[in-house]
Amino acid sequence: MSTETPAWQADIDATAAASLAAIAAAQDLATLREVEVAALGRKGSVTALTKRTGQLDKSERRAYGAASGGLRKQVQQAIAARRDAIRQATVDAELADLSFDETLPGTEPAGGHVHPLSRVQLELEEVFTSMGFAVLDYPEIESEFDNFEALNIPGWHPARDMQDTFWLESGHLLRTHTSAGQVRAMHQLEPPFRAIFPGKVYRYESTDASHEHTFHQLEGLMIDRHVSVGHLLDSMRTLLSAIFRRDVQVRLRPGYFPFVEPGFELDISCQVCGGPGCSVCKHTGWVELLPCGLVHPNVLRAGGLDPDEWQGWAFGLGLSRLVMMRYGVSDIRLLLGGDARFVEGFHAGA
Amino acid sequence: MFVSWNWISELVDTTGVDPKAFADRFTLAVAEIEGVVDVAAGLDQVVVADVVAVSPHPNADKLRLADCDLGHATVRVVCGAPDLRVGMRVPFVPPGVTLPSGIEVRHGEVRGVPSPGMLASEADLGLSEEHAGLLELHGCDAAPGTPLCDAVPIRDVLYEIDNKSITHRPDLWGHLGMAREVAALLDRPLLRPSTEGLAFTDADPVSLGVSPFSACRRYLCARFEGVVVAPSPVAVRLRLRSLGVRPISNVVDATNLVMLETGNPLHAFDARHVRGDAITVRQAVEGETLVTLDGVSRGLTSADCVIVDEVGPVALAGVMGGANSEISGDTTAVVLEAASFDGAAVRKTASRLGMRTESSARFEKHLDPETAHLAALRFAHVLLRLSPGSQLVSRLADVGRHVDAPPQATQIHTRRSYLRSRLGLDATQLTDAWMDRALTALEFDVQGPDEDALVVTVPSFRAGRDVGIAEDLVEELGRVYGYDHIPSQAPRVAARPPFVPPSKPQDRRARAAMALGCGLTELVLYSFESESFRERVGLQERGADGDVLPREVLRNHLSSDMTHMRRLLSNNLLAATERNLLHGTRAADGHKGTRVGLFELGRAFVPVDLPREADHPAVDWGLPAPMASGDAASQTAYLANLNDVLREGVQSAVATKRPLPWQPRRLAIAIGERLGGGQDGLVQAPRSLSVALYREAVGAVESLCAQLQRPAPQLARQPEPGVLPSGVTSGPGAVDLRPAWLHPARHATVAVAGRYVGLISLVHPEVRGALEVPAEVVLVELDLDALLSVDTVAERGEAPARFPPSAFDLTLPCQLSARAAALTGALHAAAAAAVDDVDVDVRWVSEFVAEAGGAAADPTGDGDPFPRAMTFRFTSRRAAGSLTDDDVRAVRAAVLRCAAEQASVRPGWAAEVDA
Repeated sequence: MSTETPAWQADIDATAAASLAAIAAAQDLATLREVEVAALGRKGSVTALTKRTGQLDKSERRAYGAASGGLRKQVQQAIAARRDAIRQATVDAELADLSFDETLPGTEPAGGHVHPLSRVQLELEEVFTSMGFAVLDYPEIESEFDNFEALNIPGWHPARDMQDTFWLESGHLLRTHTSAGQVRAMHQLEPPFRAIFPGKVYRYESTDASHEHTFHQLEGLMIDRHVSVGHLLDSMRTLLSAIFRRDVQVRLRPGYFPFVEPGFELDISCQVCGGPGCSVCKHTGWVELLPCGLVHPNVLRAGGLDPDEWQGWAFGLGLSRLVMMRYGVSDIRLLLGGDARFVEGFHAGA
Repeated sequence: MFVSWNWISELVDTTGVDPKAFADRFTLAVAEIEGVVDVAAGLDQVVVADVVAVSPHPNADKLRLADCDLGHATVRVVCGAPDLRVGMRVPFVPPGVTLPSGIEVRHGEVRGVPSPGMLASEADLGLSEEHAGLLELHGCDAAPGTPLCDAVPIRDVLYEIDNKSITHRPDLWGHLGMAREVAALLDRPLLRPSTEGLAFTDADPVSLGVSPFSACRRYLCARFEGVVVAPSPVAVRLRLRSLGVRPISNVVDATNLVMLETGNPLHAFDARHVRGDAITVRQAVEGETLVTLDGVSRGLTSADCVIVDEVGPVALAGVMGGANSEISGDTTAVVLEAASFDGAAVRKTASRLGMRTESSARFEKHLDPETAHLAALRFAHVLLRLSPGSQLVSRLADVGRHVDAPPQATQIHTRRSYLRSRLGLDATQLTDAWMDRALTALEFDVQGPDEDALVVTVPSFRAGRDVGIAEDLVEELGRVYGYDHIPSQAPRVAARPPFVPPSKPQDRRARAAMALGCGLTELVLYSFESESFRERVGLQERGADGDVLPREVLRNHLSSDMTHMRRLLSNNLLAATERNLLHGTRAADGHKGTRVGLFELGRAFVPVDLPREADHPAVDWGLPAPMASGDAASQTAYLANLNDVLREGVQSAVATKRPLPWQPRRLAIAIGERLGGGQDGLVQAPRSLSVALYREAVGAVESLCAQLQRPAPQLARQPEPGVLPSGVTSGPGAVDLRPAWLHPARHATVAVAGRYVGLISLVHPEVRGALEVPAEVVLVELDLDALLSVDTVAERGEAPARFPPSAFDLTLPCQLSARAAALTGALHAAAAAAVDDVDVDVRWVSEFVAEAGGAAADPTGDGDPFPRAMTFRFTSRRAAGSLTDDDVRAVRAAVLRCAAEQASVRPGWAAEVDA
């Protein structure tokens, strides 16, 4: 075996040293990739050495082949090792870097806003439909008949004065209550039925923080055989507990509304103090919530029903008031005031 | 109204009842008690004192020194009351007492003179607001030193009743009625005030006449002589005061006491001033005047009812007496009026003249004429007590409709079982005996022809408008029984899904699409329009022929700015956009508050054109369904079931037969952005902004249609103002085609499946210039009812394509007359011929248009007639495999060929691209 070092060995060693140094110096994967191409690519330095085999003596080819192949393998392994090292170091560095600010505020998505009246109305519609109530929608410009006569409000009644009602030149009026839909509902649906009809109502009265000429109500009506005060009590307690999402106690006081007999003012247990008394309930433990009662026989007649066969109960819930109670709105005029900033306080979740 | 527990206790035995605890029961059974007032609490140490000497204060002109006999001692205190005099009997407050009014009485000096205590006025003691002088204890014969509360019955508990809760109960406007309720609740007898032993004579009090056409139902009259007008005893004065009535003199106080007792207001005339000794009740003559007791001259109309003597009016019926016949200090003869007037007439007069008095407030409730008779008798009793020398010198004259034709007693025929079942109680809970006792206590007469049947006669003071049917008895029994004792009962429930009209889910989805999808803010606005805004901005709705379209007009309105109903939602939304741009929004939208995006869902009001009635048979006539149906048999059956009042109402509605206006449900959108500058009413918007806002609005409409599962909207400009594009049809109550804000060159009608549903438009330049804040605004008004009438598009669960698509973009230089819809259509047809499936989308549009309004034909002035660059993206797919390069080349070639054929695309462009 020859002990003389072949002439090409220097080239192999030099290339190996240069490549290994470049590999060791590479600090990131991109540089390493460049080094890899420069060494092992088609025009790379290691590849160039391999291509030289043909120019050598046959006697040297085997040894040269082994050396250049060894070099290639050595460089490949070095690159692979270096790649693993860089990858590991980069991951380690990211894991160790605590400069990330996890308290940055979120960027706001371009979501819009649903008016709180719509939100509450929708929520109530869902509660009521889940309990088998039809949801109806009736005109805001109403006939005198549907708003008054059909509800047993005769001509002499103070509610029919100009003072309380917006009248139109056409002879019709802006409904003063959603009760105007009661007789329409009796004609629309086959008894027995349960229905609500929410919507806008109008009163001819000047406005202040607690009075509006336009506001929203939700009427409830149930028609069945043998309806009693006991049913009304049970229904109201169940419905109001669903609306307020907690157990609500109710009590009835006499109240006069021409379209119900007997008629009631319904109080609920104070939702703020829960009974012992506070400033909200004027220390009574009860808060007046809505008028209700058993449907007056004349209203049933106007609805084409025989009062001996069918009875019912009805209530009128102030949607605007419910919104004010729920969201602590102190001035009713904010609801229809058209200021987008007010609505922007509420999110779109409808 | 205040109710005195002391007074109640004179009319029913209340022994053992705590008025404060009883208040709850009363509220639940009778009327709402808003407050319980403890009168004279904290006055235990106040005593009766006699003023025995008065001397001047050495250091003060307005103060004096009073020597007071307190029984066990005499003390000297400083007193500032102007009416202080020797011989007065007054309340003395010893030192160390804090009065209900907050005054602390101390051992102290007043201007250098010691004053161990004080003499008190009513206000000092918290009994009333009266603080002009000391509370003089007239008619009190207790010895000096006696505790005040023992000497005078001032200790009381007052119920403050919510007047609204007794508007339907005329009988509750006096203590007698309240006491009857208390008696029934306590199951104890009512102690009626005496009406016996009055010595009427045969003489006529005056010559009395009542016009049958007047609002007077009953008029009773009596005459008293020998009357000595004097202050009433202190007990009477304090009672009146605590109930909110000012004591005046024994005669006037007697009318007020009886009013507070029976609920029936009375009036006393000085007989000297009743000219001609004649009293007539009639309608006032137009232009007649009367100076009322408050000194104001009142102009009367024929709607008012007046009491006149031979010369002219002396009282305004049921509201207030005249100054000309007022009781004065030297009155000796008194003519009493105890009357009953029609409630509505009194209400109208009182409200027209703006004079709600204690009297009118009661008469408005339509009092029982029988109560007037009781009140007349009670007045005689009370006057004879308060002015002991007076004599009755006439008969009790009694005239009027009520006397000529007394109404029949109201009887209710019902069954005990029916009353029980309405309450949800059975015979063991609500026994026959209990029922009879409760009704009898309320003075109903109860007869039971058989075990179940009941004939109940309603007392006159409850008959008429209060109690008339069995359901009213249900209420009487229920409230006495206690609604809180009625067990609650779950209703029987039919298991079937409730009816929900399609408009409800539509509303919900539309709202979600606008707020969640498009980032818009929902407003709920008034249904009235601001006329001043309309005028400033020049808003008007015109029909195809250019005529101004009518709106619903209010007959009575709260403000001259608010006289019409909206015909379009978008007008109000435009006004709201202006206001919100003025004050800015919360600026969370990345536009620093210079941009607003709003929407509203609600009804518009479109008057129905009467002559076109036949075109729209479905119009709602405002009649109950059977009457609107036109089916004679169901009409007859319906009418037969009604009572008289209802039948009359139906017939009058049928006779006038006025259709209700169309009240379509609409969605309006407004997106506005504030602009800088603008002057002399000219505000220009950058073209790119106008395009962006317009496209945002179109996007909202497209997203709405998608959410509602309707076909994609077709947009087209009106070929002429007010004319729908060809192939588009419209229905009644549709969105007006020519609102004033419509921009004739920058709008589109929106059609869905060939049906006109509304408009999208940038605002007219004149409107832009008239806004208080320079802004570009795009408005949308869509008719949701019309959209609802279009068939839904079926959604299908298709498997996603298995092979990836390939996409490329092409930018076409176009004329400004080019239309995206037409180009997209043509390009799509061409591409689709080359491949199985292709989507063509407009990716980008840019216009090399000079800002601030260059000429449209050559906006940049560089002579390029193709200044609009439209970039389309073509996404192609094969059903059965991946796209090959050949496929893509085929699509591209087809598209380029098609583009070369388009007149609006620069000629030769396709060849350049292909090269």
